[in-house]
Amino acid sequence: MISFFRALKFAFQSFYRNIWLSAATILIMVLTLLSISLVGTINIIGDQAIKSVKEKVDLSVYFYPEVSETEIKAIESRLETLSSVKDVRYIPKDQALEEFKAKHVNDPVIQETLEILKDNPLGGTLIIQSKNLEQYNDILNVLNDPNYTEQIYEKDIEDYQTIINRLNNITDRIYEIALVLSLVFVVVAILVIFNTIRITIYTHREEIGIMRLVGATNWFIRGPFILESVLYAVISTGLSLGILYPLLKIISPQVTNFFEGYNLDLVTYFSDRFLEIFALQIIIALLLAVISSMIAIGRHLRV
Amino acid sequence: MIRFKNVSKIYKPNTAALKNVNLRIKPGEFVSIVGQSGTGKTTLARLIIAEENVSKGSIIVGGWDITNIKQAEIPTLRRQIGVVFQDFKLLKKKTVYENVAFALEVAGAEPVKIRNIVPQALKIVNLEDKLDRFPNELSGGQQQRVVIARALVHRPKIIIADEPTGNLDSINVQEIIDLLLKINKFGTTVVLVTHNHDIVNALRKRVITLDQGQIISDQEEGKYLL
Ligand SMILES: Nc1ncnc2c1ncn2[C@@H]1O[C@H](COP(=O)(O)OP(=O)(O)O)[C@@H](O)[C@H]1O
Ligand SMILES: [Mg+2]
Repeated sequence: MISFFRALKFAFQSFYRNIWLSAATILIMVLTLLSISLVGTINIIGDQAIKSVKEKVDLSVYFYPEVSETEIKAIESRLETLSSVKDVRYIPKDQALEEFKAKHVNDPVIQETLEILKDNPLGGTLIIQSKNLEQYNDILNVLNDPNYTEQIYEKDIEDYQTIINRLNNITDRIYEIALVLSLVFVVVAILVIFNTIRITIYTHREEIGIMRLVGATNWFIRGPFILESVLYAVISTGLSLGILYPLLKIISPQVTNFFEGYNLDLVTYFSDRFLEIFALQIIIALLLAVISSMIAIGRHLRV
Repeated sequence: MIRFKNVSKIYKPNTAALKNVNLRIKPGEFVSIVGQSGTGKTTLARLIIAEENVSKGSIIVGGWDITNIKQAEIPTLRRQIGVVFQDFKLLKKKTVYENVAFALEVAGAEPVKIRNIVPQALKIVNLEDKLDRFPNELSGGQQQRVVIARALVHRPKIIIADEPTGNLDSINVQEIIDLLLKINKFGTTVVLVTHNHDIVNALRKRVITLDQGQIISDQEEGKYLL
């Protein structure tokens, strides 16, 4: 325990004595952590965006105006028994008309036409959501039942697949760039930490020589250097999180705007998963720091 | 206390520093090891503290066969041996007290123990009034005495001094030799490596002479031969 405090004191001392070197080491570690976080964030944005697009996909079944509510309800009940169906919503013809009017409130031609037509030209509608995209085909098969041809006026499934593909392309591209960037930073960080620890070892070579000859244990000699690198890891993680949060606050509205109508709030995401993100960052930082300092110690500290 | 059995040391690629050395040093002895420079005196000292491994033969220190000592056991060995080496200086940024305390700190000693032992060790070398001096405020002989005090803090059974008087003038040399004799009187085995004729001749203690890696003479109350 006493040894631990002595090692800690040593770590802080050498941190301050080479303050610029320490600053550079921390800078590069922070950059590394941030770029890794960027990879993570892009992944999240991509996944969330695609997920919310998928959730928006639905199958609208329009019925002829003559088809009665009971008939539609019967079909609804049948659909609800299907395992592929997640949700079926019935929109009565009156409501369909209201919605249609509201949607085309700025289109005078449609408004006029509706004025002229006394009767509601629209029928009831069923809006069906399946559990996943592939299962819409099963549902469509059921609806293709010849018994229904008299009743169903049109079936409409929006083509979200192209949107999803495009999203995938964009996020994949950014993801790749960020990944390469992260790898570069990881390598640079390892080299910088390695070099910093090597310099610390060099500065303390007399002390180390004496320690060895007076019988200090291996770990007593190595401990302070490893602790110094742990110190870098902890400070870098703190700074990285301190930068990441405000950064997300700034870009989050843009991202939310971009995926308008989709439920995607990065700041909330970050806050909800703070502990996980913190744990991930500190683990990465510690791994980087400890591995590279161990290499430096192994190569330059003959014990 | 120290036993060499057919010890050879060959430095890579092919410098034979010691050749088939047999040696037995008894507890409490004061032994001088002499010889010209480059004959393997320092190598012999470094083998005793496991700073180097033997190429052939075996070494036993205090009943412990250290020939194939494990890395993890080396610190234990070194705490039983006090070393005063030429290139084993004081830390310039630490005071006399701190330099001596350092040897205990790195062994994980309790602060109370450190506060107890350090003044005792400095008293033995007659520097109890120079605790707060920095090394460059001391004479060469005084610095060397601090080094000896540092070597004493683990209460070693053996002290190995490799040319401890190397850069000192004759008055200081005598001081250091007297100090080593005093430590030897407490029962500590002293191995003194030197090529100073006057010292060896005045000591009237056992002298082992090395030449080109081999022991060419081993005499009780010896004289410098070469
Ligand atoms: N680390 C080393 N690597 C290679 N050769 C060495 C090393 N240390 C000593 N030697 C060689 O071994 C021989 C004995 O050296 P040393 O033990 O230092 O002699 P001394 O102390 O008697 O002057 C010399 O020839 C020296 O050059
Ligand atoms: Mg020598």
